[in-house]
This record gives sequence, C-alpha cells and structure tokens, in this order.
Amino acid sequence: MPSKTLLRNLRLLSGLVLMTFVVGHMSNLALGLHSVAAMGAARWLLLDPWRNPVGGGLLALCAVVHTVLGLYAISARRSWTMSRTDVVQLVLGLLTPPMLITHVVATSIASDFDRNFQFAYGRMLAVYWSFAPKYAFQQLFVVMIVWIHGALGLYSWLVLLPAWRRIGGVVLPVLFAVPILALLGFAESGREVLQRLESDPAWKQLIIDHLRPISALLEQTESAQNRVVLGYAAVVGLVIAVMLARMLHARSQPVRVDYDGGESALGRRGLSVLEIGQGAHVAHAHVCAGRGRCGTCRVQVLQGAESLSLRNDLEEATLARVHAPPGARLGCQALVLGPGVLVTRLLPAHADASAAREPADWVAEGDSGQLEPAP
Amino acid sequence: MSWLLAAKGRTDALAADMAQAPLEWQAWIDALAISLMSGTGVRAVTYCLILLLIGGSVEWLFWTYAYAPLRALQATLARSAREALALGLRRLLLLCSGVLLFTGASIAAAAVLSWPEGVQEAVVAVCLWLMVLRLAWAVAEVVLAPGRSARRLVPVRASHVPWLMATTLLVALLGGAARFLPDLVEQIGQAPHSAGVLRLALATLTTLLLLVAAFGFMGRPPRLAAPHVRLPAFPRSFPAAALVLLGYSVWLLGSPALSGVTMVLAVVLALQMVLRDAVFYFWSSHWDMGAGLPGAAATDAAASQLLPHIVLSASRFGVVAIGLGACAMALDTPLAELATGQGPLVRFGFSLLGVAALGLLTNLVWIAIRSTIDRRLARIGPLDPHGEPNPDARLLTLLPLLRVSAAMVLVVLLVLSSLWAIGIEITPLLAGAGVLGLALGFGAQALVRDVIAGIFFLAEDAFRVGEYIESGTTTKGTVERITLRTVALRHHNGPLHFVPYGSLGTVRNNSRDWVIEKFNLPLPIDVDSETVRKLIKKVGEAMLQDEEVGPMLREPLKGKLSRIDPGVKIFRCKFETVPGKQFDVRAQAIKRLEAALRAAGIGFADGRQTVYLQRGGEPLLIEGARPA
Repeated sequence: MPSKTLLRNLRLLSGLVLMTFVVGHMSNLALGLHSVAAMGAARWLLLDPWRNPVGGGLLALCAVVHTVLGLYAISARRSWTMSRTDVVQLVLGLLTPPMLITHVVATSIASDFDRNFQFAYGRMLAVYWSFAPKYAFQQLFVVMIVWIHGALGLYSWLVLLPAWRRIGGVVLPVLFAVPILALLGFAESGREVLQRLESDPAWKQLIIDHLRPISALLEQTESAQNRVVLGYAAVVGLVIAVMLARMLHARSQPVRVDYDGGESALGRRGLSVLEIGQGAHVAHAHVCAGRGRCGTCRVQVLQGAESLSLRNDLEEATLARVHAPPGARLGCQALVLGPGVLVTRLLPAHADASAAREPADWVAEGDSGQLEPAP
Repeated sequence: MSWLLAAKGRTDALAADMAQAPLEWQAWIDALAISLMSGTGVRAVTYCLILLLIGGSVEWLFWTYAYAPLRALQATLARSAREALALGLRRLLLLCSGVLLFTGASIAAAAVLSWPEGVQEAVVAVCLWLMVLRLAWAVAEVVLAPGRSARRLVPVRASHVPWLMATTLLVALLGGAARFLPDLVEQIGQAPHSAGVLRLALATLTTLLLLVAAFGFMGRPPRLAAPHVRLPAFPRSFPAAALVLLGYSVWLLGSPALSGVTMVLAVVLALQMVLRDAVFYFWSSHWDMGAGLPGAAATDAAASQLLPHIVLSASRFGVVAIGLGACAMALDTPLAELATGQGPLVRFGFSLLGVAALGLLTNLVWIAIRSTIDRRLARIGPLDPHGEPNPDARLLTLLPLLRVSAAMVLVVLLVLSSLWAIGIEITPLLAGAGVLGLALGFGAQALVRDVIAGIFFLAEDAFRVGEYIESGTTTKGTVERITLRTVALRHHNGPLHFVPYGSLGTVRNNSRDWVIEKFNLPLPIDVDSETVRKLIKKVGEAMLQDEEVGPMLREPLKGKLSRIDPGVKIFRCKFETVPGKQFDVRAQAIKRLEAALRAAGIGFADGRQTVYLQRGGEPLLIEGARPA
C-alpha cells in the first residue's frame, strides 16, 4: 500500500502542471478578444513551452499520472456517499481522456504534416469555424469539462490553505474569468476569421488545400482512435468493477457508529466513520469530502477505539496541523473494522473551510479530549 | 351544437398535425443540423457555454457564503413540526436564491451577447425551464425531505415520499416543457404541426402521470392497526382521476384555456381537501422525529386551538386567490384588465375573491365564538337538571343559545354580504324581508311577545336549568330545558309543562339562596317552657353536627313558646336550609325531637280533657279510678 500522502501530493502536482498548461492555453484563446494576430503573438510564451520535447514529455507524463491516480482513487472508493462536487469531479474526470484524444491526435497529425500550418492560429480557427464545426464542438466541451474539473480541484485544495484569506479574493475571480474570457475570445476571433474567409479567397483556398490530406489522415486514424477510446472504456469498466466488488464484498458485515447526541448509523465493515454517518444522514462536517485534508470531520472516540483502523500518515499530519486533542481521529480516515464505536464530533456540522485554515479559532473549550460520554 | 362542431374541428386539426408533423419535423431537424454545423452553430454553442459558466460562477460564489449556513440549518434538529417548518423555509430561501441567481445571471448575460437569430429566445426559455425544474426540486426536497423524516413538512407516508418526489419532478419537467417547447418550435422552427403534436404528447404524458399518481397516492388507506374500527370511505382516487380525465378531454376537444381552468379547479379542490390535515400537522401533539402520520387524536387536539383554524382559513383563502390568479393566467387575461378591474370575467373573479374573503372572515369569527363557547361549556361539564342546582347553570343555559344565535346571524350576514359582493342588489331583498317581517309580526304577535319576554327572563336571571319554579298560574316544576320561546318545567309528579315565556307571568323561584321552614310542636300545658327550649336547641346543635343533615342547614333548629292554648303549650320551631332540602330536614328534626322528648319524659299534648268532679270541697272518688 503506497503512502497516502505521497499519492495525494503526486496527484496534486500532476494536476497543477496540467492546470498551468490549460491556463496558458486558455489565456491564449482569450487574447482573441483583441485579435487573431495577438493570439499568434503570445503563442511563444503561453503554448510553445509545451511544444518542445521536455515540456511535451512533462505534460504527457503528468496527464498519464493524473489519469492513473484518478482511476486508482475511484477503484479505492469504499462507498457511494460523496458530495455533489465530488460527483461532478468524478464524471468530468472520467470524460476528459476520450474527449481529449481527438484533439491531441488531430493537432499532432497536423503539426507532423506541416509544422507551419498547426501554429497559425487563424487557420486552425478557420477549420473550426467553417470547415469542421464538429471539432469545434468537441473542443468547446473539452474546455468546459477540463476547466470545471481543474477549477474544482484547485479550489478545494486552495480553500483549505491558510494563504486563502489573502489570495482567495484574486484566485476565485480568476477561476471564473479565465474560461469565460477564453470562450469570448474564441467567439470574437471566430467572427474575425469568418470575415477573412469571405474577403480573402486565396487564403481560403490555401486552407482547403492543406486540409485535404490532413482530413484523409484523420479518417485513417479514426479506427485507431476508436480502439484507444474502447480500451479506455474497458479500463474504466474494470475500475468500476473493482470498486463495486469492494463495496459488495463487505456488504454482509454490518457495523454500527453511535454519536454522542443519541444518533446512530449502520454501515458495512470497512467503511469510514464519516461514510457510515453520511449514509444515515447524520450531520457531520466534511469540508474536503473525505480526502483527509481539512480535519473538520475529526471525532473523539469514546468507546470502541480498538474497532477502528490504525492511523495512516495522512491522518497523523492533518490531526497535528489542526491541533487535535490526543486520541482524536479523522472521521474520513478511521475505518470501522470491529462491531461498533461511540464517537463525538469535535466540530459542529456547519464548520466550513475556515475551520481548516484557522483551526485555533474552532477549538472549543470542550475540545480538550475530556468530553463526557452522553448518557 | 356549436361546441360539438368546435370539438370536431379541434380533433380534425389534431389529426392533420399528426399527419404532417413527421415531414415538417424532418425538414426542421435538417435545417437545424445545417445551421448548427456552421459558424452560426459554433457561435451559439459557445455563447451557451459562456452563459452556463457565468450562471455557474455566480451561483458558486453565492454558495461559498451560503453553504455553511445551509449545513447549519440541515444539522439543526427540530423539536416540533412548526420548528421544522421554520427551518425548512429558511433552507428553501437559500436554495431558491441560488437558483434565481443562476437564472438571473444567465439571462442578463444572454441579453448582452449578440446571438444568431432565434437562439436567444430558445436560450431564455431553456434557462426558465431549468429554473422551474430546480425550484420544483428545491421545494420538493424541503417539503418532502426524502430520507429525513424529521424534516418532513407534510403528513405523508415514508414509503410514498420517493414516488411523490419523482412525480413532482416529472410534472415540473413536463409542465415546463409544455410551457416553453411548443412555442419555441412554432416560432423559431416555423413548424406549427410539430408543435401541435408535441403539445398532444406532453398533455397525454402528463395526464397519464397524474392518473397513475391519483391511483398510487390517493387509493385506499393502508392496512394499519384495527381495520375493523376504521369506517370504509369512498376512495378519493376516483374523483381525482375523473377530474384529470375531464381536464384532458376538455383540452382535447375544446379550448386549452378551459382545460387550464379545469385543471386549476382540480388542483384547488385537491388542495382544499388535504389542507386541513396539512395545517393541523403542525399543531399535532404526536410529532416526534417525524414518527409518521399523526393519528386522529392528535388532529383533534389541534382542532381545539384557535390558531390552527386561523392559519387553515388563511391558507384556504390563499389557495383560492392563487387559483383565481392561475385561472386568469390560463384565460390569458391581460394584465391591464387585471390591474384596473375591468372586464366581466375579471370583475367576477374579484367578486369571488371578495366572497372568499368574507367567508374567511365569517369562518374566523365563527371559530372564535364557537371554540370559546365550547371550551367554556366543556369546563362546566354536563348538568343534571334534577341534581343540585349549580351556579354555572345560567351559563349552561345561555351559551348554547348564544351559539345558535351567533351562527344564525353570521350565516345571514354572510349570505347578504356575499350577494352584495357578487353584485346582486340586496336592497329589495331587505325591503321585502321588512314587509314580510311586518306581516309576520302582526300574525305572530304572541310569538314575538314570547321571544322578547324570554330574552328579559334570561337577562334578569329569573330561573336557570335545574331550579324549581312556580309560575303565576298553577304550573310548577323543575326547569329542564330553555329554548327561545318556551321553558320546559318538569312537575314533581312527572308531567312536563311547556310554558311560553309570554304566559309565564309572575315567577316564584323556590331554588334561590335559602328556605325557612317552620312547624309547631304542641306539648302539654304543664311542661317547663325553658326546659323544652333548651332541649330543642340541643337537638338543633346535634343536627348541625350530623354528617348527613348538617351541610344542608344554614341556621340550626330553634324553638320557643309561641302560644298557650287551653291545655296545650305550642312551641314554634324553625330552621333555615339550602333550597329544596327543607322537607328532608323537617322529617329529620321531628324524628329527633320525638326521641329527645321521650327520653326527657315529656309526652306530646294529647287531645284528652281532664275533668275533676267535686262535692263540697272534697274530691269525688270513684271506685277503681286513678287519683289525680
């Protein structure tokens, strides 16, 4: 079992690299609000670093690592209980690779075929806007999917950092503005390109001439693309099968979590305290949705501590960061392996991200580990 | 027969729609595909995505602030149904704000962008449709609270909740589609036949859904405990299904507006039927963590309070008002007409609203009066007319009378004001009633006299139920019943007199305050008066101590020498008791006096005379006679 902290950091890092690329790509698109020429002019800064073997290799590595780690995370899921953002994240993340593949194949074929053609933004836009709108739709949806996936991931990571108080006011508007500006730039530059197509027949003819062999090549690779997509679908199916198998495996071993307020929840053996509580609609704070980052789901175990799994490195680190009292556990990391536990929630259910950023403000006087069990 | 012709025309049009829709539809789809696969299509899709992003961003920003309060509200456990309602409303406010922000931001952004022709309308319609769906979802989630029975705001069975939720969402989906889609197809796609078919399909689907819902949710009650106790009731699903079918048939054959009105009426009726349970649910005493349906006893507990009734009446009125508004919308009444109150239908609608308001007001007054009187009566309890006279007897006499009179006055007022509100002239009616009243008055002079005399008797508190009275004539008896015109007197021999107040005359009430009873005690002339007086006083004190007789006495028995007749000393005894007990006490007193006198060696005066015969100063002795 690899270290949870290592996996988490690896996923975060690869995601950040990918996000940097996407931000650059989209900022370049946003320049279309000015002119197509401006898009071309900024290319060396925003896109070209990823075009050389080092940048491209890093990008490809990060994409593979992020995808594999994401699939691993899905296969390691223990239950269906997840927040709405988690569902969005998961679905969009699964959709990204097959939607992106055409874009990657088409651009690499085109750039292999004629290095000059690919990087002329105007010509690419003309293809999208006039000759093959199908690819334009694909692009638009990929942009949306990748951006929402990335923005959700970035936000849920950043919002827990103490620095969020200072940078939040900038980051949040940027997260909103970048895709909107990119799409506006795409629309504006499209208008410009369409006008040029009308007024410049020679340019139009040039594009048509270049396009013919490329589209022929694309058609040839279509079956290969389909095979890749099919293979990906098979992998996803396998991952989901693994997840389902894990869920069904422990189905017949019910365990019980009692809360200090008299509420109680039934769940399967091997689920975390938080997951069992969520399944029974017990109000239990969980800002990071069970990733072990925020520490808001921490509980004090009053009875049955021996039923819980041992602490992992992630849990240790988070508990130390939020100044948890001795004996406290993270509800999302402590798996219930024995018959049952009695816990008390250390934070109220409405605890938000500030509880992770400024844990000292949220330590109540009863939070010293001296809590009495409820009668 | 014109409506038959209209219906025929309508079905013919539907058939024509069906016949021509596929071709038209195909043509439209082809045109759409062509325009989508061009710069125009790309621009439209780009703009749509921008709208989604803008709306989503604004809503996300909202939730970064609102999510923690929402979680806090969700985590709060309600202790009563009313608390749950307050919490639910606050959650609904948050949820709806998010939806409205999304819609508002998207539509505002749509106004700024320069759209290809026809797309903007479609986008706005889709935004609104989405809003309807999400609002329906929010409301259903807050009201039905699937999976969280402690937050549920309506008395429904837990097993029904997922299905009710699904039905609500499906109806919202289909209703939104029916509202927005056909118009779009007709205006943008220039495909009226397809729009017609779309309308037909949506209406049919909705009807089927509602029929299934009617039989699923309003069917026979569940087999709970004690099925033999529950009286069989007519299943409500049949009238509900009939109404749905009626609305559908009217839509199919007649005008859509009329069908809309029918559906609104059906909804208003259905709501009015469930409103009582829904409102009293919040006052039911059995509410604990949403244990399920409150029983009949719990609703009865709520029924005795005034506030639930006020809320119920207000909700009934609100439902009627909203229903009328919905009818106005279904009939496409122009807003200007609504505002100025012109147009016959609008005026009629406002009149109906006025009548409903009057009904609400009357109902409130009636409930206030009735519940006050009922509570008072319940506190006094039932009264036995032949038992002890009770100080509350007068209330018990007057309150039911007051209740009936209030009901009559309220009904008359309501009817007259309703007629007036609808616009029917009531002056002739009143005048007619006046003339009629005059005629009746002459004819029924005695009746009027009785009623008025009765009012004064009651106002002056001349008698109450349970009192023994004698009227000026020979009638006497215990008051058993008091009505507007007569009083029923039970004679102690059994007969029941019905005496009109008018002929009651002087009333002698034997049951008020106290009674003084006197009787004579003749004793021989040679007893010592002082001894006898003390003896009587002693008997009186003993009676005062007695457990049985003592409480009846107000003044103890006393006696004194009142007259001396030849050979007899007559002692006059008297005592004071509570009304109606004097006969029992007198019997007791005489019994005790007899015993006491016998113990003291004093006999009662007998009627025998003693004759002394004398001759020359010497008593004449007779052989065998006892010496004096």
